[in-house]
Amino acid sequence: MKHFDILIVDDEQRYADMLARRLGLRSLTCKVCYDGQTAIAIVGEESFSVVILDLRLPDLYGTEVLTRIKQRRPETAVIILTGHGTEKDREQCMAHGAHSFMNKPLDIDRLVAMMARIKERTS
Amino acid sequence: MMKSLNRLRGAIWPRFHRNHDEHLNPYYTFQDYRQTWGMTIFILMMTALVPLVVMTLIYYQLIETSINTESLLRTERLASNARRAVTFFLEERLAALTFTVNEMGYDRLTNPGRLSEVLRNLKLGFGGLTDLSVIADTGTQVTYAGPFNLEGKDYSNQPWFMECHQHNACVSEIFSGYRGVPHIVVAVKSMRPDGRFFVLRATLETERLIQTLSSYKTGEHADIFLVNRDGLLQTPSQFYEGEFHHMNIPVPAYSDRTRAVMSTDRSGQPILIGYAFIDTKIAPTSFILMVVKQKAGMMKVWLDLRSNINWFFGFSALIIVVVITLTSTVMVNKIFQADRQKAETMVAAERNCQLASIGQLAAGVAHEINNPLALINETAGYVKDLFTIKQQYKEDPDLLEHIDSIIDAVARCGTITRQLLGFARHFDVQTQPINLKDMVADVINFHKKEAEYRNIKIHVDIPETIPLIETDRGKLQQIILNLVNNAFQAIDNGCFLDVRAEMDGPEQVRLFIRDNGCGISEEHLNKVFEPFFTTKKEGQGTGLGLSITYGLVQKLHGNITVQSKTGQGTTFVVTLPVQIKKETQS
Repeated sequence: MKHFDILIVDDEQRYADMLARRLGLRSLTCKVCYDGQTAIAIVGEESFSVVILDLRLPDLYGTEVLTRIKQRRPETAVIILTGHGTEKDREQCMAHGAHSFMNKPLDIDRLVAMMARIKERTS
Repeated sequence: MMKSLNRLRGAIWPRFHRNHDEHLNPYYTFQDYRQTWGMTIFILMMTALVPLVVMTLIYYQLIETSINTESLLRTERLASNARRAVTFFLEERLAALTFTVNEMGYDRLTNPGRLSEVLRNLKLGFGGLTDLSVIADTGTQVTYAGPFNLEGKDYSNQPWFMECHQHNACVSEIFSGYRGVPHIVVAVKSMRPDGRFFVLRATLETERLIQTLSSYKTGEHADIFLVNRDGLLQTPSQFYEGEFHHMNIPVPAYSDRTRAVMSTDRSGQPILIGYAFIDTKIAPTSFILMVVKQKAGMMKVWLDLRSNINWFFGFSALIIVVVITLTSTVMVNKIFQADRQKAETMVAAERNCQLASIGQLAAGVAHEINNPLALINETAGYVKDLFTIKQQYKEDPDLLEHIDSIIDAVARCGTITRQLLGFARHFDVQTQPINLKDMVADVINFHKKEAEYRNIKIHVDIPETIPLIETDRGKLQQIILNLVNNAFQAIDNGCFLDVRAEMDGPEQVRLFIRDNGCGISEEHLNKVFEPFFTTKKEGQGTGLGLSITYGLVQKLHGNITVQSKTGQGTTFVVTLPVQIKKETQS
């Protein structure tokens, strides 16, 4: 079975860490970073099955990070997880190749189920 | 029917007369529409009526002066002609007597037959003589020719005899004498060969004189008569005969020329008097010729015309007054209604903007609260995971830390909620001391995240020396919020926003909100405070933000100006009084 790696990108550090812990408890290994540039750099170095990406980042806007990730790793599924996504944001992200668009607060079971489907599809 | 009645009521008692909507007052163009209405009517009426009145009065004055001058001239001419006639009448007869006395001499004249013959010839030649007599220097009548037998009568005490002795000739006043009939005595003195004098006396009929005078009478309002120097009537007067045959107007002062003057009679009626003191070349007389004309009668044609002009003038003035009043009422009412509609729109828009501000605030709060909530969610979820997935939670040293994390996130939500309540309370309308620095910080705080994301640098410089401002918190907050919003919409990512304040004298504070955004073009600059003016696409902006801000600044007795250059940025300057005067506070 192919290794299933997840990258969480969110400027709210404690939130990102907590999400990583919860996914870890569910046997999903996660990496965490807190800004767009770092995320792009990490994705450039290693491949991830899933990137969980916040839209509002201090340095770059989420859609730009999304575009760059999809350019570099078209096979990576990018799940947008944002606090206040509008319909417009959703359309924009889907157009840029996002896998799905979720709002905070998060339903962890839904996320896990979604990742299970991704894993199933890619394996 | 009802519609017509309502329109009539609207014209007579227009809407602005019963304006009680004080909450709209700050948006009206005029403070007091009734005053504006009154002033409009007054100015228009003055402009229309004053020249009309002045011209009419000048016209009246000119006409009356001209009529008076003409009447005086005509009266004087009439008096002069009549004077000449009377003088000629008397002179003619005095001259005839003078000729007779010198031609005939005493001896021939004392012959009764000769005297009768002379009387007959004189009657034939001149007429108007009743009798002739010769009176000796003793005053006794020597010879008499005529219808009355007056021979032997003594005239030595008669005034005319004494005057004749003195002046060689005389003309008496009109008197009745021994015969009881009004007559005039004319007498001429001559000398006898023995050196003594005698007098030839003739009696003149007054009818001839009265007829002569009557022939000069013109019109029903004129009177012509003779008086003596005491004002006693010598010939009949139609209008001016008073008690004891005195005329009831004052005797004029002596003049050797014919004169005409304006005067009033005893009853106060205006009259024209023409008069002449009559003197013959042979003897003086005590007669004064009087020509009296009633001004009212003479001016009747003019007065009738003036009455017509007055009616016409009054009617025109009434039409002008009615037209001006109705026009002004309708115009002021139209302005009032347009202003009222504008004011109502402004009030409604202000209310909408307040709601929009609250909506924006709520959205901001929701956004701010969402992050801590997400964190609570994950942390609580994690704790739950520990219970459900990992069984050894009791030994987990991190548990306490995660519960702390939940408490911390709840505290963050609490802070945001408190700010929300603080902001909502600011909509109360009341003055209170306000720290400008804190208020600007509060407002900027709502934009902090957006500024962070858009990389907008916000620089706030409000010195500690700015005192507390006594003003309406909600309105001031809305002003700053609107201006900051406006700046955020105008600037691109990476620009800056500069908020600073300074004192403008001891009474006023100036707040500058400057950005280096797209700026406002010169043609739009003077329209930015107009309601519904927007350069945004349809549906994207109401164009009310800045006009409402303008209204709010005015409500706080301040003023707002804008300076801008396309491509370089915009600065709004709000000047506010440090303390709103309580009595003018709306």
